[in-house]
Amino acid sequence: MNSEGRKYVVLLFFIIVTVIYTTRLFYMQVIDDSWTLRAQQIAEKRKQITPPRGVVFDRFGKKIVTNKTFFNLMMTEEKITHLDTNAFAKLIGWTPHKVKSRFWEIKLGEGVYHNPHSGKTTSNYQKMRSYPFVKEIGLEQMSKIAPYLHNFPGFYEEITSMRSYPYANAANILGYLSEVTKEEIDVDNFYRPSDAIGRAGLEKFYEKELRGIKGIHYVVTSALNNAIEPYANGKYDTTAQQGPPLKLGVSINLQAYGEKLLKNKRGCIVAIEPKTGEILALVSAPSFDPNLFVGRKNISKNYPKLLKDPNKPLYPRPLSAEYPPGSTFKLIQSLVGLQEGVITPGSGFPCTKSMVGCHNHPSATTLAKAIQYSCNPYYYHLVKRIIQQGKRKKNTEDSEIGLNKWAKYMNSFGFGISLETDINGVRPGLIPNSKYYDKWYGHHNWAFSTIRSISIGQGEVKSTPLQLANLAAIIANRGWYYVPHFVKSIGKKGPLPIYRKKKYTMVRGKHFGPIIEGMRRVVNEKGGTGSQAKMDSIIVCGKTGTVQNPHGKDHSVFIAFAPKEQPKIAIAVFIENAGFGGTWAAPIARLMMEKFILGKIVNKEKEERILKSDLDGVKKNKE
Amino acid sequence: MRNESFSKTIDWGLLSVFLLMILIGVANVYSAAFDPKSPELFDFSQKYGKQIMWVGISLFLGLMVFLIEASIYRKFAIPIYLACLALLVVVLFMPSVNGARAWIGIGSLGIQPAEFAKIGTAIALSSYINSINVKQQSVNTVIVANIILVIPMLLILLQPDAGTFVVFTSFLFVMYREGITYDPIVLQLINLIPGVKFKKTWVGSHFIPILFVVIFLSIITLLMSNNTITFTFLPGIEIPGFFGVIGSLFTIALISFLVLRWFSSKREQNRVTMIVIIGFVLCSFISTFVNFSFQGLRKHQKDRIELFLGLREDPDGEDYNRNRAMAAVGSGGLTGKGYKNASVASVESNHVPESETDFIFCPLAEEWGFIGSLAIMGMFLFMLIRIIKIAERQKSRFNRVYAYSVAMIIFYHFAVNIGMNIGFAPVIGIPLPFFSYGGSSMMSFSVMIFILLKLDSQRGDLLS
Repeated sequence: MNSEGRKYVVLLFFIIVTVIYTTRLFYMQVIDDSWTLRAQQIAEKRKQITPPRGVVFDRFGKKIVTNKTFFNLMMTEEKITHLDTNAFAKLIGWTPHKVKSRFWEIKLGEGVYHNPHSGKTTSNYQKMRSYPFVKEIGLEQMSKIAPYLHNFPGFYEEITSMRSYPYANAANILGYLSEVTKEEIDVDNFYRPSDAIGRAGLEKFYEKELRGIKGIHYVVTSALNNAIEPYANGKYDTTAQQGPPLKLGVSINLQAYGEKLLKNKRGCIVAIEPKTGEILALVSAPSFDPNLFVGRKNISKNYPKLLKDPNKPLYPRPLSAEYPPGSTFKLIQSLVGLQEGVITPGSGFPCTKSMVGCHNHPSATTLAKAIQYSCNPYYYHLVKRIIQQGKRKKNTEDSEIGLNKWAKYMNSFGFGISLETDINGVRPGLIPNSKYYDKWYGHHNWAFSTIRSISIGQGEVKSTPLQLANLAAIIANRGWYYVPHFVKSIGKKGPLPIYRKKKYTMVRGKHFGPIIEGMRRVVNEKGGTGSQAKMDSIIVCGKTGTVQNPHGKDHSVFIAFAPKEQPKIAIAVFIENAGFGGTWAAPIARLMMEKFILGKIVNKEKEERILKSDLDGVKKNKE
Repeated sequence: MRNESFSKTIDWGLLSVFLLMILIGVANVYSAAFDPKSPELFDFSQKYGKQIMWVGISLFLGLMVFLIEASIYRKFAIPIYLACLALLVVVLFMPSVNGARAWIGIGSLGIQPAEFAKIGTAIALSSYINSINVKQQSVNTVIVANIILVIPMLLILLQPDAGTFVVFTSFLFVMYREGITYDPIVLQLINLIPGVKFKKTWVGSHFIPILFVVIFLSIITLLMSNNTITFTFLPGIEIPGFFGVIGSLFTIALISFLVLRWFSSKREQNRVTMIVIIGFVLCSFISTFVNFSFQGLRKHQKDRIELFLGLREDPDGEDYNRNRAMAAVGSGGLTGKGYKNASVASVESNHVPESETDFIFCPLAEEWGFIGSLAIMGMFLFMLIRIIKIAERQKSRFNRVYAYSVAMIIFYHFAVNIGMNIGFAPVIGIPLPFFSYGGSSMMSFSVMIFILLKLDSQRGDLLS
């Protein structure tokens, strides 16, 4: 039998096997990089050096957020020999049971390897790896533990840094940090388990800046998990860089004073520097100490408590609370009236109480006086002229055009839109337009008379305290504003670009004169509603508001700016369930302005009255 | 005068690729076993120093082989074979190292008789096949040839050394090439059936390659159908492993069809087409059959097979070696991480165990990438084809059988060793010829090649 042809069978085998292997090698080495990832998992270790977060200064250079050194107690199971659980538990102040359950928690919870080929997941816990056994131990406790740690091989300390707040104020502005979640790690590979991330306030908004740049050292590790050498001679290594410092427009002293004034009250104060749009103080009462939210233990202890508090200390009132603006809204109605030419500064309307109620006051013969007396019927007539300009025969059609124009004016003043300040959670308030009312009453089925309560800042209109403070700033600036913001500078850079853009309202600067005069009268002339805000040395311009509250006592509102010429501060004060605007909001605003402009309080008695009051009781009694 | 004719008659192609592989092999062992404390290449306390020593000894043995008449192997075939068997018996009384009695001598200077038994068996088989009548294929011939094979295999299994045991089945291919197949036995069995009278059977004649294809295909099917094929460049595209197997088969069929058509004469083209189509259909059928019958197995049966093939999802336990080896190979990329820059397979990191012996391909593939891997594949394929070419030009049947033996042994080592580095073969500890660290394998493979070169150079001297 001739077997010579069989050499081809043999050759074919050689060639086919080589070709299959080469193809496989090409697939493994060049096309599919899951093995590269696996190799990194096995042999490369990214040693991350987390830099301390950027610090935060107030407008006068006071450090209000800094970093404090803490320790993690690390564990390497392989190096543990004859652990005396009881002695160890005693050292770290735990129960032996807790020590044991923490072991299991680490073993079951940490490090999971996901095989991309089969989709199977296996635990990647390794005895030779280090895991944090106890997190966030303070310097004091660590100094007690450290001397005895050598008795427990396999445990060692690792230094970390955490936030610290030298002032117990501005928690609502600064926000807090907490451990990253698994989802956040998946989205952003910057984070590693047990890293901290900004959860609220500026910490959250400026997370990318504050966290800095991680230093990464790539090292080749052995099967025993010892680092052998820098990977590729350190070619890919980076050094850690601390996040740039933030400088705020906030004055921490003013903020602290505001929080002090609002003790035992619910409400808020927003103060803005008109010429820059920088927020000087943003008080949300009740407030809390930001140090309550430092570290896992504190957060898990205090967060639920504050969350359950009926006074909602975690609710960002100045940004999110949407109240009717009340009489403070009359200022903007006046401005629109002048710009639209439906009134002149000299216009007067009779105080006819048939359509809207009013209090007894001398007759409002000029616009400035109308503001001074806060005459409701005056604004009924004024806004009727704005909304129904007689461009259509039918009132309903006329109102539709008028209202939509009016709404555009409002938007240009920052009402009904979100003022995108650099803290999340800003609400837009509500400025109704024709579509809004069409939904309620039907198309062309309503006219000014239906919606008249908007003329005095009641009814459907809603605004946030931030928007009211911004209104005061706009009037102080005579027609423009910068979006209110907290951060003046990020390292060497100025504020974010959106805070450098001047925004103009639809009302010309020349129309602001009479309104400012009205505001001056409110505070400084006899019969003005805001005389409680009067200061001896400085001319304050303000406007009171009393917001009708169907659920209880009216809210007390006051907006103001001072001094009249070259204003330094614009302010809105909103005290819940405190009644008439002139009684509580106006004096508080005055104290704040005094504190900021003069740096001291002249009238100590007035301060005493505010500090001793306990308006919080209203809510407590009701419940 | 003699030297001159020797230099003319020697096969420089084979000698060159052999020397090149040994050179790269030493460089690679230097990287794989590098100790920064003694960076001297000739430090004989280190593995690379020793490997150089082994290479030196091997080359010296090669020189001896060149000086000795080639006919000696034929004449002393039986004593050589018996000496190898004797060593295989002696080794069984040696102390056990790592659970196997494979070494004679102490420590790193010991030798492994199993490595040399391959040469002895190759010579014995060549001598026996040379002595029998080509035309006469009786049951007896098959039995005697198999006995020559089975005795060393059983002795090796007693050590135990499963890897070398498997390698000995390579001689079945040599016998196949020489027409000594199981056909006579199959015929006898078939002809027992009343009324049946075959003179030969196709299955019986080609039993060995068919078996090989079935085993190889089954292993690959099982290994690949367990995985999903993904592409880094084409995210989202996932091919189930089983379709990958069928697709690969089709690609191979298409390529071999084109290649074979190119080389075959017009007359043969239809036959070639038929063979390729039938081959593809049969292979697909086997693959499908294996895949679905595996799915249908009971759980404990499945577990046993999965354990053997290393399919268990246990990257840090059962499957540790293969997982680390594949990570090392796969992370090499196109151009590799650079010489002495392996991070998984380096000796310091020690993630891949035995990275200087059985897993020597890991540091190579990791440091030189696909380019390096391709070069290794190319060198082996060149060497194998070259040896077959040498085999086919021998006038002496002894020489031819011997050459085929060498080719098949090297092929087995190559296929199994690389296969276990890329997840295509179960982890069986056998060295990669010319690359793995170790005196016995270096000496036996070198002597094997030198004897072949000597036989080839004297092919014209005397006809036997």
